[in-house]
Amino acid sequence: MMMESAEIFVSVPQGLPSAWDTVTAALVSPMSNDVTMSDESLSEGLSLLCSNGLGQFLEGWLMETLQVRLTTAMAPEFWAGLKQPENELEEKDRARILLMAFRTLLDRLEPFLGGLEKLGTWQDEGRGGLCGPGTGGLRERAFSIIRAILLFSPSAVLQERILEFYSRTFSVHMSQEGEAGEAEEGGGGPEVGICQGCTVPTHQCWCQEALEQLQELSHILSRLQLLERVSSEAVTSILHKLIEQRMEQHCRGEYESSFLFDFQEWLELVLGWLSRVFASEVGGMGMVPNGTSSGGGVMGQPANAVLQRWRCHMHQFFCRIYVNMRIEELFSIIRDFPESKPAIEDLKFCLERTNQRQQLLTSLKTAFETRLLHPGVHTSDIITVYISAIKALRELDPSMVILQVACQPIRKYLRTREDTVRQIVASLTGDAEGCSDLANELSRADPVTLETQDSEDEGSDPEEWTPDPTDAVTDKTGSKRRSSDIISLLVSIYGSKEIFIDEYRTVLADRLLHQFNYNTAREIRNVELLKLRFGESHMHYCEVMLKDVADSRRINTNIREEESRLAKEEQPPLALSAMILSSEFWPTLKEEKMELPPLASQAMEAYTHRYEKLKAMRTLSWKSHLGSVTLDVELEDRTLTNLTVSPIHAAIILHFQDKSLWTLEDLSVALGVPQEMLRRKLTLWQQQGVLKEEAGGRYSVLETGSSRERPERGVMLIDSDEEGDSNTTTQSEQREEKLQLFWAYIQAMLTNLETMTLERIHSMLRMFVATGPVVTEMDVNELQAFLQRKVRDHQLIVSAGVYRLPKSTN
Amino acid sequence: MKVKIKQWNGVASWLWVANDENCGICRMSFNGCCPDCKVPGDDCPLVWGQCSHCFHMHCILKWLNSQQVQQQCPMCRQEWKFKE
Repeated sequence: MMMESAEIFVSVPQGLPSAWDTVTAALVSPMSNDVTMSDESLSEGLSLLCSNGLGQFLEGWLMETLQVRLTTAMAPEFWAGLKQPENELEEKDRARILLMAFRTLLDRLEPFLGGLEKLGTWQDEGRGGLCGPGTGGLRERAFSIIRAILLFSPSAVLQERILEFYSRTFSVHMSQEGEAGEAEEGGGGPEVGICQGCTVPTHQCWCQEALEQLQELSHILSRLQLLERVSSEAVTSILHKLIEQRMEQHCRGEYESSFLFDFQEWLELVLGWLSRVFASEVGGMGMVPNGTSSGGGVMGQPANAVLQRWRCHMHQFFCRIYVNMRIEELFSIIRDFPESKPAIEDLKFCLERTNQRQQLLTSLKTAFETRLLHPGVHTSDIITVYISAIKALRELDPSMVILQVACQPIRKYLRTREDTVRQIVASLTGDAEGCSDLANELSRADPVTLETQDSEDEGSDPEEWTPDPTDAVTDKTGSKRRSSDIISLLVSIYGSKEIFIDEYRTVLADRLLHQFNYNTAREIRNVELLKLRFGESHMHYCEVMLKDVADSRRINTNIREEESRLAKEEQPPLALSAMILSSEFWPTLKEEKMELPPLASQAMEAYTHRYEKLKAMRTLSWKSHLGSVTLDVELEDRTLTNLTVSPIHAAIILHFQDKSLWTLEDLSVALGVPQEMLRRKLTLWQQQGVLKEEAGGRYSVLETGSSRERPERGVMLIDSDEEGDSNTTTQSEQREEKLQLFWAYIQAMLTNLETMTLERIHSMLRMFVATGPVVTEMDVNELQAFLQRKVRDHQLIVSAGVYRLPKSTN
Repeated sequence: MKVKIKQWNGVASWLWVANDENCGICRMSFNGCCPDCKVPGDDCPLVWGQCSHCFHMHCILKWLNSQQVQQQCPMCRQEWKFKE
């Protein structure tokens, strides 16, 4: 073929150059001239060219010409047109210039496009034996050349102008849809004479113009297949900015209503604008001169599909921005939880559509650590937030993985607080003020028994099984153990419910011993509710305690009756009632020695006698420092009535009845109480203005002239702020005792084995503990601290991590 | 100054008057209850034998029921007789 054409070139057939000229002129001439060129001569020339084998060069020539013209003339002209009047132009004019530039570009390119069409059609028709890629292929090549040359190094000006223009048309569109005004000027009322769309005085309003310009620009761009290329970036950034802006205005800090629907509606409006920008993809088809409505491959991307794509983008933006904002605010949302439920639901919806769980987890963890878990926060507040977090996060993520991972720091931190258990127990029983969540949770209708949780989940359908999210912590517990029950989550902070039950017992004991009204209805209810959760056997001790209270009341009535039958003079001088405890079932009570006033001890003795008569072979052991005393103090000029104080306070004041001046030392001997403690106890009477301290540690009665304000009558004066408030030994004291119990074991082990490492001791002890009566959670660190103390006391020697007993003790 | 005590609420714990702490059969505290009982005191009383040993009533009854031939105190092997 090549050889042939080379031959032909040698003998140039007549008319060939003129035919070439005719055809090429027809290809690049503006459309208007097309008519003058007779179709006949054109096809003649074409067939001549083809017969001479030149037809195939037409395509190459056309492309080459296009490229040259673009680089040398059109592109520079376009850029110059865009930048032309350097500055000081109104936005409106800038928009016009932008449009003008594109218009000129289109004008310049129009001949080529026409030529392309023509050549393409020829090729399609195979006229004159012409063959080639056809209309579609040609067009594609031409447009890639245009894109390549024009936008090879697009200047920032174009982006800027496009962005500005689109933003403007956006606001015009929105204001016409009656939306933007509400968002932007909602507060101050629309300013008179200012168009909301284009923010210039109304008489200069160019809203309509802008929209028309937009339409034309879109047409041109889509005609040149530059629409996506030129505008995507601008549109994307506008959408991003506007969604963000709107979200800042509407949603930030607002957790109590759902915004999904509002935004959905708003996004539909925005979609209207997008359809103005991109609609001409379809409309543009009509403008193609040849009317090739065949929907040619590239250009014919239906507007619907484009819009659909943008709608997806937009929703994606929305979800992402929303999630970002809410992640920042998640701590506050959790804090406000029951009220912020709509926000949580929205977040859940959006989070499912974005891949930001990890981000959420990290951010929430950090928020907890910086805002919650530091010494300045009260334990009960931490617990409250934790409870809210449980509730909120189980809404957010039913698989509970987020909850488990994000709350790990809280649980870890709570473990280090000493009063955690007490706080939880207090709020369980509804004692803690302002925190009734747990009490409500406890009385919920369908409690999850802690017992059954460990067992296999037989009830659930295997069909309903869903895999754990990928960020789940892989541990042996597995998903079925990931409980959402608040109480079991709280109880499991320490890993064992025994600690909780012990603590509850302590709280219950305190309450029963402080109240003395033998009214246990509420406690019985609590114990019953707890029984549902912890199982009957664990609450057994508490039941016995409550039964003790009921029994005591009966015994008291019994003894009273007996006393009332006595003769007048034999009636006891003191009305004594007792709380009789089954010592094995109550928590260890603090032992304090104290000498009771004869009045009280005699009454107690008499009471014991009657009790012994009532219950054969049983006797009573009185805890002299426990209980409460109601008394009146009559002074010369005033009387304090119905004071309720602890026995030691009563004993003190009774001593002052006999002798109005005591030194601390003498009183301490008389009462059998250490001076330090006595001094603390005396402050109560000083506060009441009954006693005063004089020089040399002497105390005397203030018979008259107390100018102080009288305290209210009948108040409970059991000082609650001092350490002796709790009648039971504290947890750490008990622990210490338990560790002391192990000391004997440790000594024995070391005597036999001579040297042992910490781990060895620990595991050995664990063995004993498992079999022994006291089941404690024993921590290696705790044990180490204990052993360190022993080392300090020279009862133990440690070297190279190995413990041994000192020689002397052997 | 005159102090008038209207009411004194005392706290006491009850205990068995026995010569030992724990039941010789179940090794539980007398002041607690035998392994079969839930509530101490009236519901799980102690009994004394003529040999002066005492046990939870439920424990010793169970023991005596298991003795086929002769009923002996598990502690001292004397014949068991309830102390009146």
